[in-house]
Amino acid sequence: MSLGERIPGIAPTSAWPRCHEGVVCMTAFVVAMILAMPLAAASEPTLAEEAAFRTAVDRVAAAVVRIEPAGGSKAALAAAAEAAVASGPSTGLVVDPAGLILATAFAVPDDVGEVVVTLPGGTRLAAVPRGRDRTRGIVLLETGPIPGAVAVEPVPRRNLEPGQWTIALGRAWTVSEPSVAVGVLSAVNRGWGIAVQTDASVSPMNYGGPLIDIAGRVIGILAPLPADTAGMKLGTELYDAGIGFAVPLEDLLHDLPRLKAGESLGPGLLGIGYRGRDTINGAPVIGSVRQGSPAAGAGLRAGDRIVALNGRPTTRIADVRHGIVPLHAGDSVAIDVERAETAGELQRLSVKATLVESLPPWRRAVLGLTAPSSEDEQAPLRVAWVMPEGPAARAGLRVGDAVDSMSAIGADAQPPMTSPSAPAVAGFTAGLEPGQTVRLSIARDGEPMQIEAALAAMPTEVPDEGPPSEQGGGDPLAGPVDAVTVVRLEGVDVGEPPVAVMPRSGRQPLAVLLWCGPPHGAVAEAEATPWKAAVAESGVAVILPGSTDPRQWSRDDIPAVLRSLQSLAARRAIDPARVAVAGADAGGTFAWLVAERLGAMCRGVAVLDAPLPRQVGIDRAEPGTARWILMGAATEPMQRRLDGDRKRLERAGYPVGSLAAPTGDGPPAAILCRWASLLGLL
Amino acid sequence: MNRLGGLMMVWCGLVVSVCPCHGGEPASVQQMAAAAARKVVKIYGAGGVRGLEAYQSGILVSSEGRIVTVMSTVLDSEGIDCVLDDGRRFEATLVGVDPRRELAVLSIQAADLPAFALAAEPRVTPGTRILAVSNLFGVAVGDERASVQRGVVAAVVPLEARRGAAEAPYTGDVYVLDCTTNNPGSPGGAVVDSRGTLIGMLGKELRSSASGIWLNYALPADELTRGCDAIVTGTIAEVTKTPAPPLDLRRLGIVLVPDLLDRTPPFVDTVLPDSPAARAGLRPDDLVIAVGTRSVTSRDAMQRAVGGIAPGDPVRISVIRSGAVVECDVGPRPHDREAP
Repeated sequence: MSLGERIPGIAPTSAWPRCHEGVVCMTAFVVAMILAMPLAAASEPTLAEEAAFRTAVDRVAAAVVRIEPAGGSKAALAAAAEAAVASGPSTGLVVDPAGLILATAFAVPDDVGEVVVTLPGGTRLAAVPRGRDRTRGIVLLETGPIPGAVAVEPVPRRNLEPGQWTIALGRAWTVSEPSVAVGVLSAVNRGWGIAVQTDASVSPMNYGGPLIDIAGRVIGILAPLPADTAGMKLGTELYDAGIGFAVPLEDLLHDLPRLKAGESLGPGLLGIGYRGRDTINGAPVIGSVRQGSPAAGAGLRAGDRIVALNGRPTTRIADVRHGIVPLHAGDSVAIDVERAETAGELQRLSVKATLVESLPPWRRAVLGLTAPSSEDEQAPLRVAWVMPEGPAARAGLRVGDAVDSMSAIGADAQPPMTSPSAPAVAGFTAGLEPGQTVRLSIARDGEPMQIEAALAAMPTEVPDEGPPSEQGGGDPLAGPVDAVTVVRLEGVDVGEPPVAVMPRSGRQPLAVLLWCGPPHGAVAEAEATPWKAAVAESGVAVILPGSTDPRQWSRDDIPAVLRSLQSLAARRAIDPARVAVAGADAGGTFAWLVAERLGAMCRGVAVLDAPLPRQVGIDRAEPGTARWILMGAATEPMQRRLDGDRKRLERAGYPVGSLAAPTGDGPPAAILCRWASLLGLL
Repeated sequence: MNRLGGLMMVWCGLVVSVCPCHGGEPASVQQMAAAAARKVVKIYGAGGVRGLEAYQSGILVSSEGRIVTVMSTVLDSEGIDCVLDDGRRFEATLVGVDPRRELAVLSIQAADLPAFALAAEPRVTPGTRILAVSNLFGVAVGDERASVQRGVVAAVVPLEARRGAAEAPYTGDVYVLDCTTNNPGSPGGAVVDSRGTLIGMLGKELRSSASGIWLNYALPADELTRGCDAIVTGTIAEVTKTPAPPLDLRRLGIVLVPDLLDRTPPFVDTVLPDSPAARAGLRPDDLVIAVGTRSVTSRDAMQRAVGGIAPGDPVRISVIRSGAVVECDVGPRPHDREAP
């Protein structure tokens, strides 16, 4: 680099010597000295890379535009509040100069009818949203012809390699120049195959902009994608975390005709549940087949092992998800399965199924009994408790009966099982509907017996009687104080350590109830007193978290609640099928947020005088993650609001029961503990 | 400061800045990082009482110990300590501050120090590779060298930022950096380009007003130079807060829909007859999307945007009407006491 290029910047505008003649002379001298001395510059590769970044940016800059919803968007505001970012302008990429722009659903949520597009030169155009890819959070916008836009070139996915340069462009900071962030490609197959990952900074300012390679070809559209392992629903939380995502342009161009036609492309459902709890590394063995689903139509059955999807081998459940998640409803998928025949031989079958957008809501069907542990996949089921008036009780099943085999009448997709464990029974009934009949071979006191029972729908209301605690429990007057222990879950290094009330002893995994009362700061151990009798009777552990701010619950309290569960799990085994969150008033609203963060781990939510917070999404009920909801209100207006929530939840397939407000000040301890102990009902 | 001192400072600063590499051999990034880090000091001072960091970074801009850094509570102290790259510790005196740019100049009694040449460098453009050198998180102590980070200039934009609820006083251009510099201890650190030239100084921890995201940004060298110059020559202008005078939009002939929601969109409800707005062709039900170059998505934002235009300057209002963008030139913004 020659010095001559640097001089104009120094001499005329240097601020120091401006006021003294002599200094000006001196500066001239200094400048002359510098002219004689070549200046240090970085070595060639560094400068060459810098030049390459600029050339790459220049190649696509004209296709990078600013996006703003006209008149703003309520949903964008809500999403922004959730992610603690404001809703400002965002970015879009012109994919067809005739008038097509890709942007993100973050910038253009469903409630936006018109969008203002600002071109690099400052010209504004009106655009309307056309199709959406709801899996990837991408929206296609249509405008009139876009003056000055250039056509962009996509990078084939197969050419992408982690470690290569990536440049993230946006146009939200300024209209005149695109913003530039440089990083490398971190991974090529994220979010079950829908995205690539980069360490270039990706934030609301460049969502919708292109991630390009060093040659100026477009890798993908920058987008907030949720990192579901981190409990993040939106993905916007990651803006300064060294992790960002882009949806490959190649994939989006493939679907461009459908998006142009205004289609709303959503996730495709197959209608299967898996056997086993490890939904990532577990073997892809079907545990249940939803009736009326594409899987049932294709003749798939519980017990089938999926060995290939669209020709790609699958050895783990994750492989199957990688195959299905990138597809849309309406797409066809080829499935190869291995099925164990009666002779023990494996038969390989190839079937085709067309994924659907929705299935009728799944309704949990039960026999009305509990097992000692709802999670033990090894031990064959023994009946620990029989629900009064339930199908098992009416069929004459008793405590202590061991189930040798189980079959369903008239359900091809659910072949018989021998020595089923509790989770296997849950998977079996998940593929059946209330009213269908199952045949059980049981052993009672060593004697074989045959029993038939018609499955019932999961109860909505909490029965008056529940499974007893391991100690026998039952009679609080017999000394509940001896049967339970109150501990502070120290070691919870965020927020106030919660108080836990739990059975003093016992071998079985504990059901856990998190109770979020009115916010008042740290929880005193005395607050455990109203729970002691219920804990003694039900054997459920109750955690009482405190709020950091004595006046309110906040999202910042959630990590402490999660930590308290871990802290309890370090002392006693927890039954993951029986973890529930409950709360009253502000604590009820907080309970919904905790439940959302817990995701599949939360199997019940009970609230008093607390409506469903607007930002909490309701996923459809699915086998393996089913929740039981209880709601109660003290006032008429609150009751009306809860009725709306109840309808929403019931439409999504959840059993919703009522929770009576307790008379007096205490929490409804007895009913909540009984409810938590029954969440694993089979 | 006496004249000779000033001369020497400029002279030495420039010489030192080029010395390590003269001879024309290209410098490796490592050499450049080392050269820059020698000119960054660790500053320790007051604070720490309410959990505020009691440390930041500073840039040597003269061989005789002039240091430029950010103005902050760290400097609200009887004794401000500066620790050089070689581990020497000096007590610094505060020469002065520029409250608008939030700059401070310190001085230590020393000689023959490596220093940057402070100069009104031309602005660099987005994509320029940078090294940021600062004592982020206070991890460097004693003779340990300040930390080096790499990145690029992401954007050059006017600063519209907040610290808590308070608006940042500086509203001129800054470099937004693609580099995680928004950390305790980073403010006052040096930003150099691929030639080793000082192009800016890392700013304080701020959030963008527009997007709410934390900003990684630097004050460009020309602003830094002007601020230093003003501090040293004692010509700092007072921070004059001139809040944009409110303007009743009716003076332009515009009545927006009533403010019912949290952020009511700026739909035009009525256009007063014979008003500037009527003459410009504005119509009821138009949705205002921009005032001049500023986008507006709410009534409040539109009110502020018009209020921010100087009296007499042209008002251009962009609206969406039947799915198309229409630009309306409403004429000059009326003076506040003028009759409508």
